Amino acid sequence: MFYIVGLGLGDCKDITVKGLEIVKKCERVYLEAYTSILTCGTEALEEFYGRKLIVADRDLVEQGADEILDGAKDTDIALLVVGDPFGATTHTDLVLRAEEKGIKFQVIHNASILNAIGCCGLQLYSFGETVSIPYWMDGWQPNSFYDKIANNFKNKMHTLCLLDIKVKEPTLESLTKRKKEFMPPRFMSVSEAAQQLLLIIENRRKETCSSLDITEDNLAVGLARVGSDNQQIVACSLSKMKEVDLGGPLHSLIIPGPVLHPLEEEYLQKFKL
Amino acid sequence: MVNFTVDEIRAMMDKKRNIRNMSVIAHVDHGKSTLTDSLVSKAGIIAGAKAGETRFTDTRKDEQERCITIKSTAISMYFELEDKDLLFITNPDQREKEEKGFLINLIDSPGHVDFSSEVTAALRVTDGALVVVDCVSGVCVQTETVLRQAIAERIKPILFMNKMDRALLELQLDAEELYQTFQRIVENVNVIIATYNDDGGPMGEVRVDPSKGSVGFGSGLHGWAFTLKQFSEMYAEKFKIDVSKLMNRLWGENFFNPKTKKWSKQKDNDNKRSFCMYILDPIYKIFDCIMNYKKEEYEALLPKLGINLKHEDKDKDGKQLLKVVMRTWLPAGEALLQMIAIHLPSPVTAQKYRMEMLYEGPHDDEAAIGIKNCDPNGPLMMYVSKMVPTSDKGRFYAFGRVFSGKVATGMKARIMGPNYVPGKKEDLYEKAIQRTILMMGRYVEAIEDVPSGNICGLVGVDQFLVKTGTITTFKDAHNLKVMKFSVSPVVRVAVEPKNPADLPKLVEGLKRLAKSDPMVQCIIEESGEHIIAGAGELHLEICLKDLEEDHACIPIKKSDPVVSYRETVSEESDQMCLSKSPNKHNRLFMKAQPMPDGLAEDIDDGKVNPRDEFKARARYLGEKYDYDVTEARKIWCFGPDGTGPNILVDCTKGVQYLNEIKDSVVAGFQWATKEGVLSEENLRGVRFNIYDVTLHADAIHRGGGQIIPTTRRCLYACLLTAQPRLMEPVYQCEIQCPEVAVGGIYGVLNRRRGHVFEEMQVAGTPMFVVKAYLPVNESFGFTADLRSNTGGQAFPQCVFDHWQILPGDPTESGTRPYNVVQDTRKRKGLKEDAGWISTGLHCEDLNYSGHSVLNTVEIVTSWISIAKFAFTVCSLFYPPRRLDSSVVTAALLFNRWCSCSGIVFRASPMVLSQSCS
Repeated sequence: MFYIVGLGLGDCKDITVKGLEIVKKCERVYLEAYTSILTCGTEALEEFYGRKLIVADRDLVEQGADEILDGAKDTDIALLVVGDPFGATTHTDLVLRAEEKGIKFQVIHNASILNAIGCCGLQLYSFGETVSIPYWMDGWQPNSFYDKIANNFKNKMHTLCLLDIKVKEPTLESLTKRKKEFMPPRFMSVSEAAQQLLLIIENRRKETCSSLDITEDNLAVGLARVGSDNQQIVACSLSKMKEVDLGGPLHSLIIPGPVLHPLEEEYLQKFKL
Repeated sequence: MVNFTVDEIRAMMDKKRNIRNMSVIAHVDHGKSTLTDSLVSKAGIIAGAKAGETRFTDTRKDEQERCITIKSTAISMYFELEDKDLLFITNPDQREKEEKGFLINLIDSPGHVDFSSEVTAALRVTDGALVVVDCVSGVCVQTETVLRQAIAERIKPILFMNKMDRALLELQLDAEELYQTFQRIVENVNVIIATYNDDGGPMGEVRVDPSKGSVGFGSGLHGWAFTLKQFSEMYAEKFKIDVSKLMNRLWGENFFNPKTKKWSKQKDNDNKRSFCMYILDPIYKIFDCIMNYKKEEYEALLPKLGINLKHEDKDKDGKQLLKVVMRTWLPAGEALLQMIAIHLPSPVTAQKYRMEMLYEGPHDDEAAIGIKNCDPNGPLMMYVSKMVPTSDKGRFYAFGRVFSGKVATGMKARIMGPNYVPGKKEDLYEKAIQRTILMMGRYVEAIEDVPSGNICGLVGVDQFLVKTGTITTFKDAHNLKVMKFSVSPVVRVAVEPKNPADLPKLVEGLKRLAKSDPMVQCIIEESGEHIIAGAGELHLEICLKDLEEDHACIPIKKSDPVVSYRETVSEESDQMCLSKSPNKHNRLFMKAQPMPDGLAEDIDDGKVNPRDEFKARARYLGEKYDYDVTEARKIWCFGPDGTGPNILVDCTKGVQYLNEIKDSVVAGFQWATKEGVLSEENLRGVRFNIYDVTLHADAIHRGGGQIIPTTRRCLYACLLTAQPRLMEPVYQCEIQCPEVAVGGIYGVLNRRRGHVFEEMQVAGTPMFVVKAYLPVNESFGFTADLRSNTGGQAFPQCVFDHWQILPGDPTESGTRPYNVVQDTRKRKGLKEDAGWISTGLHCEDLNYSGHSVLNTVEIVTSWISIAKFAFTVCSLFYPPRRLDSSVVTAALLFNRWCSCSGIVFRASPMVLSQSCS
C-alpha cells in the first residue's frame, strides 16, 4: 500500500491520529521537503514518530518515483507531505504512477494553507485563483501573476499569493553541468513579494496610460507561519507591506477583493497596523 | 645606427595623418619577412648588407631555424619622404602640412595557414596591407584567404611581386613572358578584390594598379625593388613628360617604336611593349652582363645608370656584385616606403570607414564619433588583439591599437573582455594601466602615452583579459567587435604531465598558452583531460613546444591528435517528440529537421545572424531557402553560443505565457546545441521547431529548473528521431608539384579518403597545382607521406574548408561514425555504448502516444549490452568467489531481460545464486 499523508501546517503534532498510525507501521517513510517546510525540523518529527525518515528532495519526488514506489505492492510505503497532499502542491503524478503499477494507495488529508488562510477573517468562498510569486532572476522575471491578481480583483475576489521557497534548487549555471550546485535555501517574505508587485505596478504604469486595478494603495494581508503557535497576521497597504518584517518562514500574502463583507472588514481590523 | 629615437617617434604619433599602420601578408614562403628586412634596414635598424638574410621580425629561435614566421611581430619605424614624392599625396587626410616624416607601424605576419589567426589579429590593428606574391608561383590559396580577410576588415591592399631574381635567374623567362606573368598576377589579385569588395562601398576602389604605383616589383632577398614611379622619374626628364602620365604609358597595352618615336596601342613588328623596353630591358642587361662576367660591359653600363660602386664592392663579381648593383640602383626600402606612404591610408582616412565595422555600439555615441574622427581628445577606445609574451615568464604585453583618445602610463581605464555586456559587471575590470610601451620587433621601448591611430603594447592588463578585449575610459562604451577567424580549431590533442605531481604547472602553463596565441583553445573535459585545440598539425606542434619549453616548463605526454566533429540530422524527426518537465506539469512538443544546404554556411559567414532585423532576415530565408516567412520571423535564437549554425523556431499558435519560458527554452537549446546527444560535440545545421507547449498555470512551476533540462531532453529526442549524423571537418588542400609527381599525389590522396577536384598547370611554369578535399582526420602525417611518395617534390597547403557528413548511422554498431562516437565518448569520460539513449531520456520523451518501436528497441539494446558485459565477466572469473555488486546488478538486469524476452539462459541463475551466497 502506498500512503500519502498530510502533515498539516504547524509542528510535528499536527499529524492526524490515522496518519500517525500509518507512519509507525510503514516500511519506509519519505518526507517531501521542497514544496513547504514545517516550523519544526526533521529531527523533531523523527523523535515524535519514533522512527527514521527519508528526506525526499525535488529530484527524488519528481524523477525518482520508481524508487519511492519500489516494493509498495507488498509492503507499506508512506510519503509525508506538509499541508495537504493535494493542496498547494499536488502529488497527483505520483498517484497516477502508483496506479499504473497496480499499487493501491490511500490519502490522509490534513489542513493546508489553502484553507487555513481563513484565519485572517476573509471568507474562503470569495477567493479566486491562487497564484505563486516566484523569486525573480536575471533574465527571468515573470509577471503573469499580476494579471491573475488583477482579474480576481475585477471579479471582486480575494487572491492568495503563495511565496517562493527555494530548498536545494540547482543554480541556473549548474543546470547545464553534470555536477549540480545548489542555491542557498531562501524563503520569500511578504515584504519581498510586495516589492516585486510594486515593481510590476511601476513598470505597467510606464507601459499603459489607463489606470491600473491594483496599485500601491491596495490593501494587502501578510501572514506568517500560519498554524503554528507564533503565527502572525498583518493588514496594511501594499506599499507599507514592503516595510513589514514578519520574521521566519513561511509567509503568504493576500490581496483582498475591492468589496469586503462587513464581517470581513471587522475581523481584518484586528490586524491593521 | 638607428636613425630615429623614441622621442622622435612619440612626436610623430601626434601627427596622425602621417601615420601608416600596415601589415605584410602573403602565402607561406613568398618572402614577407625577407622583404620586411629592406624596410627595417632603411630605418637603420639592421645593416643594409644583412637585409634579406636577417629576417629581423622572426624573433623566435624556432622561427629562425625553420625559416618560417610563427608569430606576427610589430615594429615602428620613422622615415622621411622627399618633397617630390610628397606631391603624390593629394588627399588632405593623408598628410600633415609641412611634414616630411612618416611613422610606419608595420606588422609582419606568418604565411602558413595554421597561423592565420595571427594574420587576423594583425589586420585588425592595421589599415593597410602589403600583399606579397611570389611571381614564380603566383596567387596561392593563402594569398586569397588573407586578401579576403583584409578586404572584409576594410584594409586597403597594395601588391608586391617578389622573387624577380628567381624568375630571371632560374626560370630564364624572357621579358614578354615575365610581363604576362605580372599581368596575370595583378588580374588574379584584382579578381579576388572585386569579389569581396564593392567598388561603390565606403572604401571606394581598392584595386591595385601598376600604372598608379600601387604595385611593386623586385626581390626581397637581393634587396631591390621598384614601382613604375621610379622608372618613370628616370625617364620623365628625357621625354619631357609628366611623371604620372608616363607611368600610365609604362604599363598595359602601350608599345613604343624607337624608330618612328611613336606610341601605339597595338603590337606590330617594329614596336615593343613599353614595360619591357624601358623597365625590363635595362634590368635584363645588368643581370646578363654581371652573371656572365662581362666586366667591360657592366663597367660601362653602371655609370650610365648613375650607379657608383663603393671601393670595397668593386672586387665582387657574380651574384654578390649583382646584389650590390641592384640594391644601389633600385633600393627596395625606398620603393616600399613610397608605396606605403602614398597608397596606404592614414588612420584618419581609414577609421572613417572602418568605425562601423569595428564598433558594436550605436554609431553616433561619443566612442563611435571618437573612432570615426580618430580624435586623440575623445574617450579612449583601444582594441587589444593579442598577447605578446614578455621576458618575464607568464606575463604578457597586451598588444593593440588605439582608435580614439589617448592611452597613458598609470591611467585608470575600463578593461572589457569579449563577454562584456554594457550595463553589466561581467568581464569588466577598472584598473590602472601600469605602463605603455612601443613594440620594436626584438625589443620594447617605454613610452609616456600613445594617442589615437597608433599601435602599442600595455603592461599589467594581461591578468584581466584572456586573449582580446576593449580598453576604454568611456563609461557607456560598447565593445569593439571580436575578431572573426578564417580557420577554426579543429585538431585537438590531450596533454598530461609526465610526472603527475606537475599537474598544477601544466594547468598554469595552459592558461599562459591560451593567452599567447589568438586562437588556440585550452579546454578541460569533464573527464579531467586537458585538451589543446588548434588549426592544424603544425600549429599544435608549435603550441605544444611552447607549452613544454616556455609556459609550463615540464615534460609533457601528448595523445595522438584527434579532430572535433559536429552532430547533425539528415531527416525530419519521424514523430512528434514530447518531454515533460520534472514536475510533469509542463510539456514541450518539438521536432528537428536538417537545414537546407548553404544555410549553415550563411550563418557562419554572418549573412544570416542574430543581430539582423527579423523581418529582413525572414524575407531572405523565405527567398533563398523556401522557409515559411511567418515562421522565419519567429526564430528564437541561434546556437551554440547565441551565434552558431542551429536555430530554434517558434511554430506554436497562441500559447499563453510562452514568453515567460522563452529564456529557459533558449538556455536549454544553447546547452543541447553545444553538447549534442551523440558525443557532446557541437550541433550543426539543425533547425528545431517548437509546435506546442503546455504550461502549469502558475509561474513558480515553470521556472528554469523545470524548463531547461526538459528542453534539452526534448531536443535530444528530436535529434535521435531525425536520423542523427556526424560531420567531419574537411581541408581544401592545394599541392604544388612538377608533373612527374602528380601520380604519387593521387595515390596518397586515395589512401586518405581525399579526392581531387581540380588539376592544372601554372601558366608559364612546369609546375602543376592539384586541388583536393581531404578529411582533417586523415591529414595527420599527410605532408610527410606526400613528400616520401613524390620524392620530396610536392608541397601541400591545407586550409579548413567545410564540414561534411560522415556516411553511416552513428547509432548502429560497426559503422564508422558509431566508432567515432564511442571513441569520443570514451575520451570525454561519458557513458559508452547505447547508454546515452537511456541517460536523460524517459520513455515518454520519444513518443507521446506511448508505444514507440524505436524506444523499445533502444532500451533493449542497452540491456543486451549490459547483459553481454555481465556474461563476459561471469565467464572470465567463473567460479567467482565474490562478485562485484555492479556485476550482480547487471546480472539481475540480464535475468530480467531474459525472462521478459522469453530466453532462458543457463548462466544467470548461477550468477544469482553466487550473489546470494
